[in-house]
Amino acid sequence: MYKAVIIGGSAGSFQVITRILHALPPNYPLPVLLCLHRLKHVRSGFVEALSIKSGIQIIEPNDKEQIKPGKAYLAPANYHMYVELGNKIALSTEEPVNHSRPSIDLSFITAAQVYREKLVGIILSGANRDGAYGLKKIKDLGGLAIVQNPDECQVRTMTEASLKMTPVDFVFNTNEIIKFLQNIKV
Amino acid sequence: MTIRYEIGIVDTRNVIKTLLDDCGFDFRDYALTSLKRRLEYIISLYALRDAEGLIAKLKNSKEFLDQFLYDITPETTEMFCDPPFWRILRDEIIPELVKSGSSKPRIWIASFDSGEELYSLSILLKELNLLNEVNIYCNVLSEHTIQRITSGRLDPKNMEVNEANYQRFNEKGKYSSYYRTEANNIIFDVSLIKDVNFIKQNTLIDENPGAPKLIIFRNQAIYYNQLLSERIFTKLANCLVAGGYLAIGVKETLENTNVSNKFTLYNEAERIYKRKNN
Repeated sequence: MYKAVIIGGSAGSFQVITRILHALPPNYPLPVLLCLHRLKHVRSGFVEALSIKSGIQIIEPNDKEQIKPGKAYLAPANYHMYVELGNKIALSTEEPVNHSRPSIDLSFITAAQVYREKLVGIILSGANRDGAYGLKKIKDLGGLAIVQNPDECQVRTMTEASLKMTPVDFVFNTNEIIKFLQNIKV
Repeated sequence: MTIRYEIGIVDTRNVIKTLLDDCGFDFRDYALTSLKRRLEYIISLYALRDAEGLIAKLKNSKEFLDQFLYDITPETTEMFCDPPFWRILRDEIIPELVKSGSSKPRIWIASFDSGEELYSLSILLKELNLLNEVNIYCNVLSEHTIQRITSGRLDPKNMEVNEANYQRFNEKGKYSSYYRTEANNIIFDVSLIKDVNFIKQNTLIDENPGAPKLIIFRNQAIYYNQLLSERIFTKLANCLVAGGYLAIGVKETLENTNVSNKFTLYNEAERIYKRKNN
């Protein structure tokens, strides 16, 4: 039923992401795309930090890398990460969107255009509005939209902006996001 | 800018067809997602309503075509992007290039740079006192790009980022000595680039300066599909001298391409490749 999961987060999302990745088994049936705001000039260390407790392999993809199930793809520092037809990653150095590169909106929009109703989009804690429009695009194209419960977020701006823009399918606490992802139908 | 207009696949293909048939520029093997986004950006920027509006304007105005070629190319957006790359160029590669051989080595910026790569390179050479010891060639797609670069008005979006990048490249240097400020605009010292040779290209990079020893082609093939990437990497490999260097973007790779056997990886983190003798 679903072909991919995409997760966007910013300030306050690191621990949530770590818990989610920890809960996924190595043979997880879907690819997980991660667009997280990060320092532009620090190119290394993030994958390593996320990998410590992750159940699935985390890759910072090169341009044109094939997207495969059971792996997480982390948007590299200072690039936008798109999903390209043919189930490939495409990177871009176009100017920042919402002051962000990578921009969650751009990752979400391009993933929505490729996977359409077979995509799950999740917005986590964050301090700006990036991702709100992208989540709307996922919903508009028939995908499933999930937002982390703002009451649980360290910074609620991003989740509240998303809820304002889109009638989402679920508002979940981290535990519920994990349970949902573990039981997802493919 | 925020883009809300969306162009469909069929319309995208129609624009590509017009560009090829009426304008002589081949965008057929550009990466679809980013090309589509650039077209949406241009349609929004010039209030053209839709793809048909864009097609009509492309057919009717040579001036607009040049502007289009300028806008379709994403700006480089940063001076000294990836500072460690520029440090390796300064400390290892450039000294080697000028030491070997009798004629001035040729350096070719083969990406469609909006000026940032060129000025960064020129500042680096000036600091080494080698600006007159190399010949620099720079690809351009539009006249508008040449005007932008030769006026020194790069309009950098984020001076703090550029300044921080420069400091990571040379913590003892003074970035502000390379530009002046005029009514809040930054104008770079154009004497840095006075001897640069611009090569007016088509989209397939059919021209080359002949026997370059260093090709800078960072973050350009990300806008191509696999087929076009390999075709252009082949052209670059064929003109690059044996032992010469090819720099691509830090998240690009020649692995699994048809030119991988022509290169060795010289620096993995900065994706600098060295041309073999074959």
